[in-house]
Amino acid sequence: MIWVSWRQHRGQAIACLALLAALAVYAVIEGSSMRTAFSNDGLVGTCLARTQGTGCENGVGAFMGEFGSAVNIAFWSVCLIIPGLIGVLVGGSLIARELEYGTWRLAWSQTVPRTRWLAVKLALVTGGLIVLGAAITAVIMWYRAPMDRLTGRLQHNIFDYEGLVPTAYILCAFGFAVLAGLLIRRSIPAMVAAFVPWLAIRLVVEFVLRPRFLAPVTGPMSARCQQPSVGCGSGISSVPQATGHIGDWVLSMNPGNLVTYQPADRFWPFQFIEAGIFVALTATALGATIWLLHRRAAWTALSPAHRARPRAGLRSGRPRGGAVGGDGAVVHVAADLAGYRGGTRANVTSRLDPRLRPSVPPLTRGRRLAGRADQGR
Amino acid sequence: MAEHNAEGSVPALRTDRLGRRYGRMWALRDCTIEVPAGAVAALVGPNGAGKTTLLEMIIGLLEPTEGQVAVFGETSRAGTAQALARVGYVAQDHPLYRDFTVADMFHLGRAMNPRWDQQVAAARVDALGIPLRRKVRHLSGGQRAQVSLTMALAKRAPLLVLDEPVSSLDPVARLEFMRDVMASAADADLTFLISSHVVSELERFCDWLIVLASGHVQLAGPADDLLAVHRLLTVPRAVPDAELPGTAIHRTDSDRHSTVLVRTDPVQLAVQGHAGWQADPVSFEELVMGYLQRPSAATTGNPAPAAQRPAASAKAVTR
Amino acid sequence: MFRFRLDGSSGVPPYLQLVHQVRQALLLGYLQEGDRLPTVKDVAADLVINPNTVVKAYRQLEHEGIAGGRPGQGTFITATSSPVPAQTQQDLRASLEAWLRAAQEAGMSDEAVTALIAAARHGMRKERV
Repeated sequence: MIWVSWRQHRGQAIACLALLAALAVYAVIEGSSMRTAFSNDGLVGTCLARTQGTGCENGVGAFMGEFGSAVNIAFWSVCLIIPGLIGVLVGGSLIARELEYGTWRLAWSQTVPRTRWLAVKLALVTGGLIVLGAAITAVIMWYRAPMDRLTGRLQHNIFDYEGLVPTAYILCAFGFAVLAGLLIRRSIPAMVAAFVPWLAIRLVVEFVLRPRFLAPVTGPMSARCQQPSVGCGSGISSVPQATGHIGDWVLSMNPGNLVTYQPADRFWPFQFIEAGIFVALTATALGATIWLLHRRAAWTALSPAHRARPRAGLRSGRPRGGAVGGDGAVVHVAADLAGYRGGTRANVTSRLDPRLRPSVPPLTRGRRLAGRADQGR
Repeated sequence: MAEHNAEGSVPALRTDRLGRRYGRMWALRDCTIEVPAGAVAALVGPNGAGKTTLLEMIIGLLEPTEGQVAVFGETSRAGTAQALARVGYVAQDHPLYRDFTVADMFHLGRAMNPRWDQQVAAARVDALGIPLRRKVRHLSGGQRAQVSLTMALAKRAPLLVLDEPVSSLDPVARLEFMRDVMASAADADLTFLISSHVVSELERFCDWLIVLASGHVQLAGPADDLLAVHRLLTVPRAVPDAELPGTAIHRTDSDRHSTVLVRTDPVQLAVQGHAGWQADPVSFEELVMGYLQRPSAATTGNPAPAAQRPAASAKAVTR
Repeated sequence: MFRFRLDGSSGVPPYLQLVHQVRQALLLGYLQEGDRLPTVKDVAADLVINPNTVVKAYRQLEHEGIAGGRPGQGTFITATSSPVPAQTQQDLRASLEAWLRAAQEAGMSDEAVTALIAAARHGMRKERV
């Protein structure tokens, strides 16, 4: 069953590996040039550590201009949907394709109960997606390491690509798509039907919930930032943040020089919380899928014939017709099944009561029985 | 000539008041049939009669709403490995995974069936000239049907269910497919249950007949015996069904005469011989068509949709 | 190996056709005592018919004493009915043709002729019993 699952998803696995490879190539190229620029611009070490970036504004400016441009930001914003796409593309067709093409009749009539079929498949594909997610995340985190030292990791568009959450996003989209595939029974509609709620939940979690995972801290603006200077604002391009530290996530700036923010060291707790939400959603969706598959008895849409003919008032309790001439709609010839012996064709003969067996030789076309005179006996 | 076996043998298939409902509509109701081991049984009926529903419940793909299925005496809950192992299945249109190779399909069979016989599978496709390395989507329709049949045979289940196995095949492929089915039936003493909506060719293949229409079993039993107890009577039009020997099943009226399919026994027939009456043996096709066309037992007493039936005989024919 | 034929349109049940063919072959000398009939599987595959039908035919032949099964070896012709000598066959055929011409001139249709032959044969069988 493991081989079967692998073989069925082999194509998808190869496509994902190709995606990962492409990403890795890009990351290595961009990441290397980023690292070079980082040291060249004099950003390394003491300047950042001592002054949190305020002392080397030119270097920061140059670096951010090259690697943190608006185009770059826009590109990575669009790429936020990619985990969702991966998830729904892999999950949408998992069950739906079997139902669409009728291969469920093949798959579920072998000697493997369909819940076990599904469980093994889901385990394997989920495992594969976790590995993929971890690999993608690792590549991205390596690529972004220099940049992260300037922007921190809590900001929108950065948090979403690091730590645990990319994998969790993929799994959630996958779970939704598998469930949708079972309910809708067609691959592409299932993918769409899963993607939309995934996106909605992503947006809600990111913009409504994430700022409040833990109670934000309110504190005074940093002294360094009291006088006008570069940075000291909020947002991804502001180095440092208004708190005077790199890595904090400023949520709002209030009158009286107070800043509401999430401290940088909350990165991992937030990751666990957000990943936890999406993993819980995944587990719910996949659990529901298995349960529904187990409970549901019918897989084909009602055929048009059924829909067209209402069967109101079908009679039940028909008399059991057991012999020739019995009443009732069901005609059962009295069949002595002893004549059929499983395993040999030896005794296949007519098992009719001898009185009923025609003693007239078997008839051919054109032979007539009109009247008694012609009856052979 | 009757050699009755003292030991009763376990029927390959027995259903007991099997029924399946979708919402408020019954696709199949009150189905009680038996198929003896070693038989080649035909399940005949128009599309929408409930054939696929019945077959899916026998295979274990569908849970019955009421009633039971016993395969070789064992009743298991639908969908358990036990139930699935006993029945081999070739679904309509022979579904296979299109980008698998034939070898992959057999690998799947081996992985999902503990009793899989790879020798049988490999030998069969070899004899048929189907290369193992070819992808399923590059096979012809007939070859796909053969691969599907091979998978069902290699599963080594004692009962094989084929759902309209030849309706999508060209005549040559059809013949080759049925040739293999007959050879397997002779060879391995398997029991076959073949559903079809084409009646004309069934006579040579099946020795057990089940006629299904409107979700109910209309006729069931050994083919030869059923043919032996039915006659096609030609009688003057005025003769009502009540005066006919046996039970009238289906009647067609012309200007001066009527042709009636009756179920009777020959003793009775001889006794009631009349001048101007004629009794002919009934062909397989006439028998099945007669039962398919008889007014639906339901019940409401509405006249049958077939408009040529005059009201008088309609009353006599319905129970 | 003896091979059977099946006429799907003759109206005669398949198993009877097989029986007739064996009887016929015996009469004409194409089958002799000791010849082995093809296996059930071979016939079923060759003609694409239910093997049960073949079994039935072979049972009928056994019943009539024409053939018998030897366990593990197959079904063999056991009848010793000698073929009708060629001359006798020719004479019978000539008189049959004469009779048929007479029936045709009398206005009997083919079907009526067949029915008459069957009835007469039947009557004769009755007498024998």
